[in-house]
Amino acid sequence: MSELLVQMDNVSKSYGPITALGGVNLSVYRGEVVGLLGDNGAGKSTLIKVLSGAVRATGGTISIKGRQVEMNSTTDAIDNGIETIYQDSALVTQLSIARNLFLGREPIKGSKFFGRMDEAKMEAVASELLKEVGISKNIPPTTPISALSGGERQAVAIARAMHFESDLIILDEPTNNLGVAETQGVLQFVRNAKASGHSCIFIAHNIHHVFQVVDRIVVMRRGAIVADDIDPKTTTVDAVERIITGMDS
Amino acid sequence: MGKLSKLLSVRPEVGPAVLLVLLIVIFTSINPKFLSILNISNTLAFTVELGLIALAMTLLMTSGEFDLSVGSVFGLTPVIMWALFNGTDIPLEFAFLFAMAIAICIGLINGWFVTYLKIPSFLVTLGMLLVARGTALYITDGFPQRTWNASDEWLSAVLVGDIQIGALRLYMSLFWFILAAVLLHYTLQKTKFGNWIQASGGNAHAARARGVRVDATKIKLFVLSSALAGFAGIISSIRTSAANPNSGTGYELEVIAMVVIGGTALMGGRGTIVGTVIGIFILRLMRNGIVMIGVPGLAYNIFIGAIILGMMALHSWLDRRNHSGG
Repeated sequence: MSELLVQMDNVSKSYGPITALGGVNLSVYRGEVVGLLGDNGAGKSTLIKVLSGAVRATGGTISIKGRQVEMNSTTDAIDNGIETIYQDSALVTQLSIARNLFLGREPIKGSKFFGRMDEAKMEAVASELLKEVGISKNIPPTTPISALSGGERQAVAIARAMHFESDLIILDEPTNNLGVAETQGVLQFVRNAKASGHSCIFIAHNIHHVFQVVDRIVVMRRGAIVADDIDPKTTTVDAVERIITGMDS
Repeated sequence: MGKLSKLLSVRPEVGPAVLLVLLIVIFTSINPKFLSILNISNTLAFTVELGLIALAMTLLMTSGEFDLSVGSVFGLTPVIMWALFNGTDIPLEFAFLFAMAIAICIGLINGWFVTYLKIPSFLVTLGMLLVARGTALYITDGFPQRTWNASDEWLSAVLVGDIQIGALRLYMSLFWFILAAVLLHYTLQKTKFGNWIQASGGNAHAARARGVRVDATKIKLFVLSSALAGFAGIISSIRTSAANPNSGTGYELEVIAMVVIGGTALMGGRGTIVGTVIGIFILRLMRNGIVMIGVPGLAYNIFIGAIILGMMALHSWLDRRNHSGG
């Protein structure tokens, strides 16, 4: 068994009288791709928001590599090696690929007082990352994000997560609104991330996409995890759908 | 056509630059005195005062906010400085620093209301416009403050002293404008802070998720906007020998027009100081040129409105044509 990367123990989240998460336990191991499935309102998004620091848990603990951490903001999550990629990629469309990759962590050249960005370094690294993540087209790193397709934008977001040595990449509906070819591209990016030693949590409405890339499937229902060790190689899509809808019981 | 639209999209200031050259050619061909040394000298003197405010507004608008109180701060800051200098024994330098501190405080208050209370900058700065203008009128009883007793002060020479080069008279304010333009262009295009400004206006949520201090960035820009508006007001008061509590009325819209004509996006995310400098000269040359060629000055707003609409249409067309992603 590889290293235990993330452990969520009895994590809960309430909004006033409404319980969105009711004492959830989730573990993710290094190099593992976990598929998180569930119907609308099952609690997937809340769980991911807690893990990515977007909302604070009401109760429970989160440990990263055996050390208990506080997730009070998205920067806390990033500092702890957790990157989240949303369906809109969370990129700034007006900025170039290179500037997006380094946003918030821009390398500085010369005196720190003037804060001049080392753009040559940013562009060189961006070019390498685009190849590494599997973008086959020759896209200059100075290209603005607005000129890229949906799949290419996801690739840039994944490249960013890989570059900053994130241990865990959370992909929240990354294939929404993408065409067939672009979806296959994003799934390949996930495989490349796993091959380079990153763990992923993959959330998608389309179960077939999840089955193509994950090692293990976790199913949520009504704010709780109802199955957390489904092997996609030995389970059918129908069986998982029955667990999601509660028809299995 | 494709190459032209790509060039105009990558360099949004090219379109306004072409318009500026056209205006100079048209005005000069109708009235050759348009390019006379005297006219250039007069145009530059007033242009750079409004221009200083437009430079700061470019950065603020790139971050997704704007400031309607700049015209009032332009009027209030010199009123405070001269009221203090004329009514007490304190030296001009201290009065200058005190007035600038008030301008900075106004920027801080604007920024705090927008970022912490989450009130749109349109409403916050509209309120501040009234507060600042009302204060200027209240402390002066509506009368201009005298400034001619500052002619011997070194500060006056530093701010608005003039240099005669042949028949051309240049004011020190031009130096301050060029310095501000170079520094702010460098900041916006080359520095980490500039990247944060563009990210804050382009996608504040994404920027925050990457650790960009969006609120702090915007507060700094509100302070810059107020500070440069106050500084420009002081320069103007010394040049015209009067600190009128009503001066700067309506400047906010003219400044925003300069910035937008230059190619800065009204909704944030994209800005260009070079474009703003061109936008500043387009508006000032229009005001000056239409009078010189015999068009009634009251028709000025018709031309400015038409230019704004034309430039908006151009930038919108370029965005749709060149940005294929969706």
